[in-house]
Amino acid sequence: MTPSRPLNMPVILGTARKGRMSEHAARFMVGQIEKRNGVKTELIDISKLPMPVEDAGEGIKDPAFSEKMVMADALVIVTPEYNHSFPGLLKHILDSCLKEYIHKAAGIVGVSAGPFGGVRAIQDFLPVIRELGLVNIFWDVNFGNVSKVFDESGKLLDEAFVSRADKFLNELVWMAKTLRYGRDNIALDS
Amino acid sequence: MASQKSKMICPKCGAEMNHHADKLVDPVKPEDLKHVNPTLSGVIEEMHYCPGCGAVESRRAE
Repeated sequence: MTPSRPLNMPVILGTARKGRMSEHAARFMVGQIEKRNGVKTELIDISKLPMPVEDAGEGIKDPAFSEKMVMADALVIVTPEYNHSFPGLLKHILDSCLKEYIHKAAGIVGVSAGPFGGVRAIQDFLPVIRELGLVNIFWDVNFGNVSKVFDESGKLLDEAFVSRADKFLNELVWMAKTLRYGRDNIALDS
Repeated sequence: MASQKSKMICPKCGAEMNHHADKLVDPVKPEDLKHVNPTLSGVIEEMHYCPGCGAVESRRAE
């Protein structure tokens, strides 16, 4: 099956913290996606998004972010682990949309300074992903000890992550194609 | 079961949209409360997708 439009798979960089190593992971994932035929991507940096705090949920919906989510077939969400969970600002942004996500694929990339690669953040994140209507794949990419994975410029130091990202993206593309076919063709009661 | 209401038409390209999901959402505003389905304890939003251009729309199920 070849979709008529290229799959759209943006990468969300889910932290606004200064000096974040997650940016290296996010840019690496963008680079890996760009190598694939029929798939387009872009980096969505939450630190660049309007983030009002006088309201929440769809009350703070940003039209530009909403449109990016509308046109996405799958999301790669790069999250660091802060205090054993994902950043509150990431949830604040994701909560601003709903219909945009329904029956679309998601894959989570965890990043941590320590050895566990964001696994606790990912486990906390899964029920949120489900309630947003996204369908999470069973592959993650875990950047543990991230300061040893990238140098200060963002250069990858551990080539094993190329094949790990490849497995993750294979599954995410499959899920994105399948879900797009369903959104296109399968009505709720058929 | 999908709605018996008319098909939604894509506001971007004019194609007929596919009703592919119903989502139970929590009432947020006071006016949402009168639309709560008492059996399901929430508001049902129909989710529609445009096969032509990828637009998404939703509407409250009746």
